[in-house]
Amino acid sequence: MKKIFSAHKGGGFIKVIKRRMRFLTILLLLLFALTAAYFCYSVYFYGGRWVANPYNPRINNQKQHVLMGTLTDRTGTVLACSDEDGVRHYSNRPETRRAVCQVVGDPGGKVSTGVETFHAQYMLGFKSSLFERLGDAFFGRTQRGDDVQLTISESLSRYISAEFPKDKRGAVVVLNYQTGEILSMVSMPQFDPMDMEDALADQEAGALINRATQGLYPPGSTFKIVTMASALQNLPDLNSFMFDCTGYYPVGSFSVTESSAHGLQTLSDAFAHSCNTTFAALSQELGYTMLGETAEQMGFNENFMFSDLIVYNSSYPIDHLSPDDLAWSSVGQGRVLATPMHMALIASAIANNGVLCEPRLLQKITTPQGGERSLPSSRTGKRILPEQISARLEQEMIRVVKDGTGKRAALSNGYVVAGKTGSAEVSNDKMIPPHAWFVGYITNDNAPYAVCVLVENGGSGGKVAAPLARKALQKAINLGL
Amino acid sequence: MGETYTARPARRQDAPKKPASSKPAEKTAQRPAPRPKRPAQRKTIEKASAKKEPPFKKAAVPAKKNVPPKRQKPDTDRQYKKIQKAQKVDAAIALDRRRAVSRSGGTAIAAISFLTAVFEILGLMLCAFKAEGTIDHQALFMAMMLAPLGLCSSVLFPRFLHIDALVMALTNFLCGVGIVVLYTVSPYYGIRQAGFYLIGLLFMIAMSEMVFRIKRFRGLTWLAMFLGIGALILPLAFGEWQFGAKNWVKIPGLGSFQPSELVKLSLVLVLAYYFSTHRTIFQMMPALIFAAACLLLLMLQRDLGTALIYYLTTLVLFYVACGNMPLTLIGAGGGIGAAMLGYKMFAHVKVRVAMWRNPWSDPTNKGYQIIQALLAIGSGGLFGVGLGQGTPEKIPAYYTDFIFAVICEQLGQIFGVLLLVVYVLLILRGVTVVSRARRSFSMLLGCGVLTMLGIQTFMIVAGVIKLIPLTGVTMPFLSYGGSSLISCMAMIGILHGASARAQDHLEEDIFST
Repeated sequence: MKKIFSAHKGGGFIKVIKRRMRFLTILLLLLFALTAAYFCYSVYFYGGRWVANPYNPRINNQKQHVLMGTLTDRTGTVLACSDEDGVRHYSNRPETRRAVCQVVGDPGGKVSTGVETFHAQYMLGFKSSLFERLGDAFFGRTQRGDDVQLTISESLSRYISAEFPKDKRGAVVVLNYQTGEILSMVSMPQFDPMDMEDALADQEAGALINRATQGLYPPGSTFKIVTMASALQNLPDLNSFMFDCTGYYPVGSFSVTESSAHGLQTLSDAFAHSCNTTFAALSQELGYTMLGETAEQMGFNENFMFSDLIVYNSSYPIDHLSPDDLAWSSVGQGRVLATPMHMALIASAIANNGVLCEPRLLQKITTPQGGERSLPSSRTGKRILPEQISARLEQEMIRVVKDGTGKRAALSNGYVVAGKTGSAEVSNDKMIPPHAWFVGYITNDNAPYAVCVLVENGGSGGKVAAPLARKALQKAINLGL
Repeated sequence: MGETYTARPARRQDAPKKPASSKPAEKTAQRPAPRPKRPAQRKTIEKASAKKEPPFKKAAVPAKKNVPPKRQKPDTDRQYKKIQKAQKVDAAIALDRRRAVSRSGGTAIAAISFLTAVFEILGLMLCAFKAEGTIDHQALFMAMMLAPLGLCSSVLFPRFLHIDALVMALTNFLCGVGIVVLYTVSPYYGIRQAGFYLIGLLFMIAMSEMVFRIKRFRGLTWLAMFLGIGALILPLAFGEWQFGAKNWVKIPGLGSFQPSELVKLSLVLVLAYYFSTHRTIFQMMPALIFAAACLLLLMLQRDLGTALIYYLTTLVLFYVACGNMPLTLIGAGGGIGAAMLGYKMFAHVKVRVAMWRNPWSDPTNKGYQIIQALLAIGSGGLFGVGLGQGTPEKIPAYYTDFIFAVICEQLGQIFGVLLLVVYVLLILRGVTVVSRARRSFSMLLGCGVLTMLGIQTFMIVAGVIKLIPLTGVTMPFLSYGGSSLISCMAMIGILHGASARAQDHLEEDIFST
């Protein structure tokens, strides 16, 4: 007791105090080092995003006294440019303006993920060095932002917009799976950046949202790719797996239903015919941990920090699933949500032997002085699937297009398409048609294109989405991108 | 106390170039005279001793001339040892003196002072000639005044005042950056801040002299306690709620001030005094009760950030002085409990924590401030958008709590890191200076001041960059605000005073052994 309450202990008092003080100094220094380290970390990783934030008033401020750079597509067609008075002009063709509107952005910064906002640090000269700025000030020039060339193809985007089912909403993504370049990113409905009043008047239509990257939809049967991958990785002897589809699979108090009974079939058959009951049964064997692991491995629940564009998180519920919840999740219904861009990335990863390439939107950045600015470093691909599993999935997906639900996506002239259709139910009301999905890619090395089509309430994926995917792929081949 | 001394001479013998004096006879006879007189007295002794310096036998013979006849007896060996010891002691004193002087002449100090002056002059000139056609004479005038004042205070003052030159130079740098950035943001703030800086310098000198001169602090601590409690009651009685806290008092005709900033000085003084002179926890009670009362009043004012600083300083000083881990841990546990209670009780604490975890959940309202700060830091880039550029006024409280974000936007993220480095240097130099103290009171005083400044800096910088939840405290030396700047300068004054006492105590100790 006495020991506790006598504050001082014997010994050279000054020396002891000095020792404790040194100890505390080290502690304080560690705190400061932590602060500095965190400061550097957050500035390095998030600094660019802070600049590009739509809440940043400096972007609009900067527009007052900096001429925004010119924006071109991959072939050099001008998508947007500023005249000497700082007025922003978009492409002369209304179809082009509309086809790339969400990718490019608008003069008022209303499209938060548009290149003109997200890459404002280049386009408005935030990245220009001290010497460049001094040079501008010295010669009395108005400061100019960098010119940016996108990987987008204007003609492909225009074609897809024209071919998209009339009066439907949705999104189409076409990308090169070897390089990760995004060739087209179309979101319907569209708006005209030269006529913003019209676009703002009808905000309910959601034209300002890029559905390809910001739209979260139930992936429906396209999610079976993930369930299949998980089964291939985790369950033994799948080759001898046979399942008798009666059009009805009871789970808990609910049941997973199918419009018609497929009869006795292998896993491969079930995938080709997109049989819900088989996958519901598979999911019960997998359990929510294994399926969740595979889903997260393939990018669900992940905050994609791509340097070129913002893609919203796809979500897969990993909390304790009830058996019926798990069964519905395995066929991409229930609480599973994905963006079309993410599904396209999954397809391109399978095409790429299981390696996911970071999607690229910026092709080239040219400074006003004519120099070239280095692009944000491309992360090396991340392996999301083992090689043999992705090879097996490719076989299954080829079969889907060959003699399964995705027949209408098949290409001629020796191009082999692999893919998966999906029809995601969005309502218990049978009168509301499901979302039509198609994800796939061309297996040929000379046309490395992956595609994802989503038509909101379009109907059957095989009938609505697959033909559109075929057209988009064919056009990409014709353009030779 | 002598044990530190035996270790020193080996290192120091080669250092002093002038032969040190030896005065075996005077040593016991004469207590050290007051400072100014000593050097003159020393010179005569040095002259006398210079002759008997080198080898032993030669030295012993001339030594006899100076020594009174009684001591001429044959025991030369013992006598030599005495002489040698005295020589060592005096060499140490001489070296310490020289170090004290060299503190005012180091190249690093000169470089920092010069850089600060250049920064101030260039920055203010930029403001002066910014607008086309007109010249801002105010800015020119400030440049003319501020730069020489800074140079004087770090180069000249240490020669005749008890001021550590390096600490002063670093402080000046921080204050200079603050004043210039504030002037570019708004000349009104800049000019007022410069005025506060001037007053702060006076306070600093006053504190340093006070800590150095006053020998008995007992009465003063009681005074500090009463004044402190009284000052903290003022805002509760006469203040008005402002930004969810009631910590300002308006004095008619003078403006408003924040008592909790100035009471920090009382707290450090009281804690240092009681922790150094009293041995058991019951004897320390007055200080602990005072600290608890301050905390309670601050809680009532809802000035939780300052309360946290008070609490942590008390805890740290208690640990340093007592080293009683169990009690310190109990104190820390109590603090954590109080924090949890505060989180439950105060809605705005909950908001702060939520906005720290994810400010983007409410970017236009509750998370607005922190998000605007981050956007400003991001927009500045590595090298900043330039002094006077950018849009700092978008951040609420940009001139006080969020000055760090403004500086990062204008002068760049690298400059932000540099500022942190300057704070670290200031703390390290402070620790070095305080470590020389030879009385626990001075040591605890210095330690308390450094703890306070260090914790406050960490809290606000880490809050602004979203490392910890935001606590509304000012950034020492940089933030706009009279109370804050003056109290920080006064704390630096305490540091100077504590280090100056070391010199005196050193001599006292030597001659008392």
